[in-house]
Amino acid sequence: MANNPEKQVCIFTKEQLDSIKTGYDDWFNNVLKDGDREEELAGKYFTHSGIPVKMVHTPADVSHIDYTEDIGYPGCAPYVRGVYPNMYRGRPFTVRQLAGLGAPEDCNLRIKYLLQHGANGVNILFDLPTIRGYNSDDAEAEGNVGHCGAAVDSIWDMDAYFKDIDLGTISTSIVTHLPSTSIVIPGMYFAVAEQRGTPKDKIAGTCQNDFIMETCVGSGPEILPPPVSFRLQCDVVQFVCQNYARFNPISYNGYNLREAGTNAVQEVAIAISNGIATAEELLKRGMNVDDFAPRMSFFWDLHNDFFEEIAKCRASRKVWYKIMKERFGAKKPKSMLMRFHVQTAGVTLPATEPLNNVARSALQGLAATFGGCQSLHIDSYDEAYSAPTEEAALISLRTQQIIQAETGVINTVDPLAGSYYLEYLTDEMVKRIFDYIKKIEDMGGLVTAVENGWLHREIANYNLKYQKKIENGEMKVVGVNYFRAEEGSAREIEVFEYPETYTRQKAKLDRLRKERSEQKVKESLKILADKCHTDENLYPYTLEAVKNLVTLGEIEELFREQFGLWTFPLIN
Amino acid sequence: MTRPIKVVMAKLGLDIHWRGVYLVSQFLRDAGMDVVYIGNKFPEQIVEAVMQEDADVVGMSTLGGNHHSLGLKTVRLLKEGGLDNVKVFMGGVIPPKHVPALLEGGVNRVFLPDTPMQTIIDVVNGSVSV
Repeated sequence: MANNPEKQVCIFTKEQLDSIKTGYDDWFNNVLKDGDREEELAGKYFTHSGIPVKMVHTPADVSHIDYTEDIGYPGCAPYVRGVYPNMYRGRPFTVRQLAGLGAPEDCNLRIKYLLQHGANGVNILFDLPTIRGYNSDDAEAEGNVGHCGAAVDSIWDMDAYFKDIDLGTISTSIVTHLPSTSIVIPGMYFAVAEQRGTPKDKIAGTCQNDFIMETCVGSGPEILPPPVSFRLQCDVVQFVCQNYARFNPISYNGYNLREAGTNAVQEVAIAISNGIATAEELLKRGMNVDDFAPRMSFFWDLHNDFFEEIAKCRASRKVWYKIMKERFGAKKPKSMLMRFHVQTAGVTLPATEPLNNVARSALQGLAATFGGCQSLHIDSYDEAYSAPTEEAALISLRTQQIIQAETGVINTVDPLAGSYYLEYLTDEMVKRIFDYIKKIEDMGGLVTAVENGWLHREIANYNLKYQKKIENGEMKVVGVNYFRAEEGSAREIEVFEYPETYTRQKAKLDRLRKERSEQKVKESLKILADKCHTDENLYPYTLEAVKNLVTLGEIEELFREQFGLWTFPLIN
Repeated sequence: MTRPIKVVMAKLGLDIHWRGVYLVSQFLRDAGMDVVYIGNKFPEQIVEAVMQEDADVVGMSTLGGNHHSLGLKTVRLLKEGGLDNVKVFMGGVIPPKHVPALLEGGVNRVFLPDTPMQTIIDVVNGSVSV
């Protein structure tokens, strides 16, 4: 905010503002009906995260905002209006739908299907054993192989995933979630690209790599301690920044924080706190902020509160800009601009009358467009049943295309800017995000906040409050607790099932174990185990291991042995 | 003299999202039950916890597709351990057409998405006499 009144470039002069305030008072006292006035004075309306909402917002609510300094122009500081000057006129947001079910060979067909229907990026998903670092034939994997995503055990599977697809022409989001697998699975992708002769600088994409996913948002039977997971997260960022110019080594996952149970302010503040922690660690390792900050990306969840979600997107860019510039002294503009992927909120999609979810997701996708996202996944209506079926996935893809091609909303940049309500919310959101970041820092930073279980309790408390509002009807869910659907109106949804995935993966693993050099496997694992106890970056060693046909499960088992396990809070 | 119903709640195997299972645990606790949340566990470990806690009820949450394999395995192990009287409930993202097989396998009730918490509380309360 501008403190220097001479510099202030407010939209309204002082005289105009005085007249607006007088007009508002007149309206409030003489036009509003008594009951409405009392209700407004009682302050009954709030956004989802708790920001007060007035019946009518006026220029008086945004009179302290300096247009040039606080809002500005797209592609210019503080990036409230977007990260590129021409935004979607230059290139609409990337249509990036999820693809992942069964075995890699099945996913390969789905990826080709999506690319043929106009998608220009892909999101690849893994089954739970792969996500948590087990081979398909490990005992822990029983019953989960090929569900909710594809099984990837070795570099052979990555090769099959992208059979006949040029890795130099697509952008791939590798949804690894955990740092402990982000140091392995994207490495398989890099190694496949190398084998096919794709130049390093043509490899584009993102991996998720977020220690909060490993230690807080997701749970599992065996969890690495937060400081270890955080170290691996930073190893991935450092190595990828130094080797792959077009690959984003981290996507701070606000999305799953939100789905797990936070509001919009917490979602952004926690993800940015992780960005701060990463930056501090990499500076300690001798890197320059401008060498890694341009490669950091974020991932937001677009939930139901339409205007608050748009405000969140705009506010998050400003907070990141200020932190990178003022706190870390970044020089390159690219270091200060926050790029983010959006997924619509799966948690808002009930199983009851599932086709209604097409409408919910379209509205959330529209909010993402107004928020200036760089890429978008629109959830499918069958979210509460399974990973999307082909029909459902196509409707999501078409919804994105309808927003882009038919509504006209992408023809002008940040079209809702200047709305008194939206600018008021954006400004409030910026303040509240900074306050929550400070709370985390005062506690000793994000790794500490996770280690001592504070963040887990924040999430659990939020969920209890939110769920009580659904149970008592205060928060309306159409068809569920509001205009309740009749019994039996559930639609029978076909779910994908790949019972043969386990057998196929098992056969491949057996063949792999026969064909690989056990000598090389042992050597790679021995070196990796030794390096775990040094300060060295582990990525070169995991990369070497996957090239030597060491499996994901073997590397993860090694981490668990070398680093030990941590007990998830909340367990009693 | 009645004692509170003792409930062991678990996330089944590698399943990841704990929001639902922890919420149900909190609501059952608020309804006066004695609830122990044991986190992510495999069938053998769940049965061990049920034995140790002398539980009346076990609740298993799964969103990722292991309801058949690990869910039914838990029921089988409970029976083998002589714990037939323990009531077994499951909840999460389970395709409705898979429910009959789970019930046939010995699960007492499957709670699908959108089930009101009060329904779960009532069903659990009604399933056990203490």
